[in-house]
Amino acid sequence: MVSRVRAELRKLLGLPTAWVGLVLGTLTAPAIVLLNAPYTRRAIAAGTLTDTSDLGLRDLGVGLIGPMVLGVIAVSSEYTSTSQHAPGARQLTATLTAVPDRLRLLVAKTAALVLVVAAQAAVAATATLGLTQVLHGDHVPAPAPARVAGAILYWTLTALLAYAITLITRNGIVPLTLLVINSTVVSVSYLLTKITDLASYLPDIVGAQMFIRDADFPVEIAPLTAGLVMTAWVAVLLAIGAVLFQRRDA
Amino acid sequence: MITVDRVSKTRSRTRILHDVTFEARPGRVTGFLGPNGAGKTSTLRILLGLDRPESGAALICGRPYRKLDRPLTTIGALLDGSGAHRARTARAHLRWVAASNGLPDSRADEVLEIVGLTGDARKRAGRFSLGMSRRLGLATALLGDPEVLVLDEPVNGLDPVGIRWMREFLRNSAAQGRTVLLSSHLMSELAEIADDVIVIDKGRIVARGSLAEVTGDHRTLEDAFFALTATEAVRPW
Ligand SMILES: Nc1ncnc2c1ncn2[C@@H]1O[C@H](COP(=O)(O)OP(=O)(O)OP(=O)(O)O)[C@@H](O)[C@H]1O
Ligand SMILES: [Mg+2]
Repeated sequence: MVSRVRAELRKLLGLPTAWVGLVLGTLTAPAIVLLNAPYTRRAIAAGTLTDTSDLGLRDLGVGLIGPMVLGVIAVSSEYTSTSQHAPGARQLTATLTAVPDRLRLLVAKTAALVLVVAAQAAVAATATLGLTQVLHGDHVPAPAPARVAGAILYWTLTALLAYAITLITRNGIVPLTLLVINSTVVSVSYLLTKITDLASYLPDIVGAQMFIRDADFPVEIAPLTAGLVMTAWVAVLLAIGAVLFQRRDA
Repeated sequence: MITVDRVSKTRSRTRILHDVTFEARPGRVTGFLGPNGAGKTSTLRILLGLDRPESGAALICGRPYRKLDRPLTTIGALLDGSGAHRARTARAHLRWVAASNGLPDSRADEVLEIVGLTGDARKRAGRFSLGMSRRLGLATALLGDPEVLVLDEPVNGLDPVGIRWMREFLRNSAAQGRTVLLSSHLMSELAEIADDVIVIDKGRIVARGSLAEVTGDHRTLEDAFFALTATEAVRPW
């Protein structure tokens, strides 16, 4: 078990794309806090910020691209063609000949992803919230540990969501594009909440309620319930992905 | 020891393997011969637990591949390509594979040396030539010093020196008591290294036995092959 997790960690951290996700995901949020500092100061002075305890936690959102990239490529790297000489050849062949028990393999892969993303989230949250304290400490209360934990959990579950979807699609481009667009350009899930309250239970929307208090959420959901709902989404998608992975020919 | 017992497989509603049955024994090189599309790769993928048979079983030392613990110490496989992600160096690839089976990092450099890739250890797999990829794939197969070797068209893409090297390597492996199973559509190649031959055509085993038995009354293995697979030479106009 330990050796399999070690191998999966090496595989993931040996990919240049993984480092793009790690660096982008860790640095974007602190950079935004820094860039927004003058604007934030003015907003605080003018009293237009309703709940300053949300401040750093809200900025964390832009870093989610990191967990999304990591979750997708942990799987998609197995399916990309390894060379032009053999278009059908993929890393998955090496992976499954080394660890043929697919359930054990998925457990190790999932564990490696969770370790990497949780560490990244902890670093990004510390940097973002620390910077917020340094810049606006007089007006912003120190973040509650439970909310920080909620944010780290949100990052980890987001990575697992991306991972599970890619396990189903076996291709990284479509899920990564959709997830990144949904979290940056236009949030389709957010638009859906304007149409139906049910959309408040979509994983990305509900998950944010674990640590963000004041936003125009149409339905208020308690942090614990929010965490459970998002976990349920991830669990169901992971279960579907795992069953397909188990059944399909490699 | 490899045992394939009445393996059948259907793909896109066509039966591509019909009750495929054969053995490969320790200390011998077993050649798996058949024309393009006969079902060689399909059979080997089932043997390696990558694809599932519809019925029948394929066993390595009495156990299905998926039930092997630390399989690389029992069996090494070489399929199409190297199995290394393009962005990884040869050494990084070999190290993660070694780690997954509890083997030390030092094995990576040892197998690179065996296949003659020491100088390319830090090169990314995506930059490898066809022949270098084959060698890296073989290096991966050798990590756990396995007693069984399964190779799909191992000389594909190798230069004459590489082909001779591969031939000697496989002969030596068998001489040391290993089980060696290799597929090929090159009859002259197989005739030079195989002790036993299995001939597959359109998903059915049409002959199996020692090289002499399969060649039978025919002048060469090639003649026997054409007789067995009833492939008609295309008549020039
Ligand atoms: N994914 C697939 N879907 C449908 N048919 C397939 C698939 N893969 C292989 N086949 C069919 O299975 C048959 C056996 O193919 P296989 O690759 O095993 O042959 P082979 O003996 O390895 O041939 P070659 O010498 O060309 O490598 C062929 O008729 C092929 O068209
Ligand atoms: Mg083939």
